[in-house]
Amino acid sequence: VRRETQNVLLVLLGGALLKIALNGDYLRYVRPAQQPWILGGGFVILALGVVAMVRDMLAAAGSRKRVAHPVGHHHPARTAWLLMVPVLAVFLVAPPALGSDSVARSRERAPQGSEARPAIAFPPLPPGEVVPLPVSDFVTRAGWDDTGTLDGRTVSITGFVVHDERGTSLARLVIGCCAADAYPVTVRLPAGVAETMPSDTWVEVTGALVPESANRANRYTPELTVRTVRAIAAPPDPYEY
Amino acid sequence: VGAETVARPPRKSWLRRITSIEVLCAILLVAALGHSWLRSVLDVPALSTGATVFVAVCVQALPFLVLGVLISGAIAAFVPAHVLRKVLPRKENAAVGVAGLAGVALPGCECASVPVARRLIGQGVAPAAALTFLLAAPAVNPVVLVATAVAFPGEPAMVFARFAGSLATATVMGWLWVKWGRTEWIAERALRRLPETERGSRFTVFAETARSDLVEAGGFLVLGALISAALGVLVPGEVFGALGEHLVLGILVMAVLAVVLALCSEADAFVAASLSAMPLLPRLVFLVVGPAIDVKLFALQAGTFGRTFAVRFAPTTFVVAACCGVVAGLVFLGGPR
Repeated sequence: VRRETQNVLLVLLGGALLKIALNGDYLRYVRPAQQPWILGGGFVILALGVVAMVRDMLAAAGSRKRVAHPVGHHHPARTAWLLMVPVLAVFLVAPPALGSDSVARSRERAPQGSEARPAIAFPPLPPGEVVPLPVSDFVTRAGWDDTGTLDGRTVSITGFVVHDERGTSLARLVIGCCAADAYPVTVRLPAGVAETMPSDTWVEVTGALVPESANRANRYTPELTVRTVRAIAAPPDPYEY
Repeated sequence: VGAETVARPPRKSWLRRITSIEVLCAILLVAALGHSWLRSVLDVPALSTGATVFVAVCVQALPFLVLGVLISGAIAAFVPAHVLRKVLPRKENAAVGVAGLAGVALPGCECASVPVARRLIGQGVAPAAALTFLLAAPAVNPVVLVATAVAFPGEPAMVFARFAGSLATATVMGWLWVKWGRTEWIAERALRRLPETERGSRFTVFAETARSDLVEAGGFLVLGALISAALGVLVPGEVFGALGEHLVLGILVMAVLAVVLALCSEADAFVAASLSAMPLLPRLVFLVVGPAIDVKLFALQAGTFGRTFAVRFAPTTFVVAACCGVVAGLVFLGGPR
């Protein structure tokens, strides 16, 4: 790969990182705290490419001879072409956030599969008729809270619809750092609520926990008595953290 | 890189005159035209999941690689070789110990440490010490340890066990290199020392070193991310749940999984915590092996230090890390748990 091409590739790659960091697409891939890193990384990659281009041009204009690069005499690294792959992926394909396919794939990584957990003190839910809760919070409280903070409370949870052999559920993916480490949390929805909605439809559901519904036999998947279901647009921030 | 334009004989067939710039333009043109086709191909759920994971690994790791090449460039431009030689102990065995502890100071993921280690070797640091640093930096820095403590509340022993296991892996690998390692396994280009530079051209050296390191390592990072995304989609999730009871098998599978998933060392603790069907010991092995060796690192090492080096170093690291993880687990966790 020629030096000029390498520089173009660097500019494209830096541009791709800056693009997703600025238009918010980065939230499909990593957690929000990474934004400054992506901005900084993209900027440096772009700058390294541009600086090299400008220097080459100045040197070429100045001496009309080949530029002597102090450390640029490497064997032609063919692997530099691979930098093209993320560039094309970001600019042309823009892969969507993980959804129901990933839930089916990573179910075994769900914490809901576990039995013993150190008892964590669950603070009482805030007052209000309907309490918005992260799905992961709802699931942990349903499975491991002995003090009954969910008893008789109506909650509102947001996630996407997943159909599998056991019926329909609402799911959300939780990530620690990037989408590669995502694991799902799921809440079973009763029959007749969302069967007709296609997989990956985002919904906001209000309802109450069916008492004792999260147990070892169903891998601590709580069930909800649904009061309202509303299809919503996919949130900009598709994961929980 | 640039020499072909000089040495080119005057007349050539049009085919030979095509350079990578023309190829690049052609790729961009085809990609832009085949845009919607490309999207429809990737509409298969498995491919789409794989593509998202691939971009996620790239987006997450590239800034750290950039940090690494900037440090590498700064060492090349501003830290003369004789200073480095003065700082490190003369005896190689002692230098390995110092390098392991120096890893505490570079918070970042493993991608950052590869170009830095390569530059250290280029500046005349003993390979054993530089390789110890390579293994220690991503695993024992404060960011990773805090992440581990957060991921395992109520299990402070995990943090100590991880620290000890990873530091032991790095030091043992360093000593093994002192004993049996051969410098000729490392590709010549990684050993080449930069000429001492004048004051004025330092910025040029800095930018050029960072640029060429980035181009070289970046391609391999992408390769590693591709492999990891593909394996992540292909490896069935059921392997996790079924192995809870078999300890030895569990340890092996978790070690292999750490290599295959190629997670960032700052995030792997959360994944390990979520794999709660497993006892603690296999999960500790996962945390010790992951930052030391995974497919992404193997690709980076092969690209930076050469294939001869990588096929020897990577499997040894895997075995040493798995053993150190088990021993650290037995000592600090007091058994499989």
